[in-house]
Amino acid sequence: MSKKIILISSDGQSFEVDEAVARECGTIKNAIEDKCTDNGIPLANVTSATLAKVIEYCKKHVEAAAKASAGDKDIYGSNEDIELKTWDDDFVKVDQPLLFDIILAANYLDVPGLLDLTCQTVADMMRGKTPDEIRTIFHIKKDYTPEEEAAVREENAWAFM
Amino acid sequence: MVPEACVANIISFTSPADIFSSSAVSSVFRLAGDSDFVWEKFLPSEYRSLISRSTDRHQSFSSKKEIYKCLCSSLLIDNARKLFKINKLSGKISYILSARDISIPSSDQASYWSWSKVSNSRFSESAELITTDRLEISGKIQTGVLSPNTRYGAYLIIKVTKRAYGLDLVPAETWVNTRNGHIVRNTAYLCCLDEKKQQMKRLLYGNREERMAMTVEVVGGGDGKRREPKSRDDGWMEIELGEFETREGEDHEVNMSLSEVKGYQLKGGIVIDGIEVRPISLS
Repeated sequence: MSKKIILISSDGQSFEVDEAVARECGTIKNAIEDKCTDNGIPLANVTSATLAKVIEYCKKHVEAAAKASAGDKDIYGSNEDIELKTWDDDFVKVDQPLLFDIILAANYLDVPGLLDLTCQTVADMMRGKTPDEIRTIFHIKKDYTPEEEAAVREENAWAFM
Repeated sequence: MVPEACVANIISFTSPADIFSSSAVSSVFRLAGDSDFVWEKFLPSEYRSLISRSTDRHQSFSSKKEIYKCLCSSLLIDNARKLFKINKLSGKISYILSARDISIPSSDQASYWSWSKVSNSRFSESAELITTDRLEISGKIQTGVLSPNTRYGAYLIIKVTKRAYGLDLVPAETWVNTRNGHIVRNTAYLCCLDEKKQQMKRLLYGNREERMAMTVEVVGGGDGKRREPKSRDDGWMEIELGEFETREGEDHEVNMSLSEVKGYQLKGGIVIDGIEVRPISLS
């Protein structure tokens, strides 16, 4: 019977997960090893909606890893690999605010695979876009004065000459 | 809202072009776009060795971005026998192997080849063919020094002098072969064919020359068109030798060759600057 860890979101919701799943998060793995998990681990920076998604990712990847080590894996991309990739592609089809919340949570909880997956997704949305378009898509406020903006463009103009 | 470290992680999945342009989004993007974390990903793994092998760079760098910029303006390495370059927008690596760095049989014999500094050459010497009946040129490169997961083309960089002769009789054979045995063969003329001259030859010699040209078999890319040297931006011409692909984690030798030995006629007046290996842009 695997040990259960309790994770508590910033809005007070408790999530009970297998230890193996919790260990996918580097910060929680450290807490487990430092033995400070008795009353559950409070995660002040992660809301319940976000935490649910992080746990979902970790569960799926722990299951996939178990299947892979049990079975005979072909290095050129077995069906399991493709299935996992398809699952990952669907997993990130969420609205933008949630996507960014997951990035922040993956960063805070130290889940490298999830961080890379979500950052890659955002990167794909950014590719080839102008700064104005990027600001619009991601609701970012420009914090440059016109002089600063001119200086920044000047700095990197050599790349486009 | 999103911390700099996360922005850096995000933009590291884009391209140098996107990183340069996104620095104008906001100050967090600018800071992330200047960070060593991001530029480390676009530097070739052996960049320290490349810089130490370079003949002209002895400056110190204050950031990985500076190193990247340095590698974008070509670097002469290995006693100026090779030119290394990164495309500033895509981050892809290309090389030009000088004529001294490739294999040209008998190139050290003054009756066959002459070496001198040619205008527009990036190297101190290029090789001009005086005369030979057998023209064989080949270069090699390790895929491990190139960008992974990229389709590359190999091109022989040449000039044809006014005193050239014997280059338009028979096309040369070109091929690229990699360690796993894959060979891409093709043919190409060593100079651009003068249509009027070709017509005169047909009048005078009947189809004899065309029959000779057909002794050079065309395998694969036979679309019936004559392949001829193409102009480059740097005042030289190039003949495509073939293509190959690089894969992450693999490192094997690629041989790129041209040979014109079936013509039997004497030829001369072609100048070789080297072989360029560059990514093929997908349009």
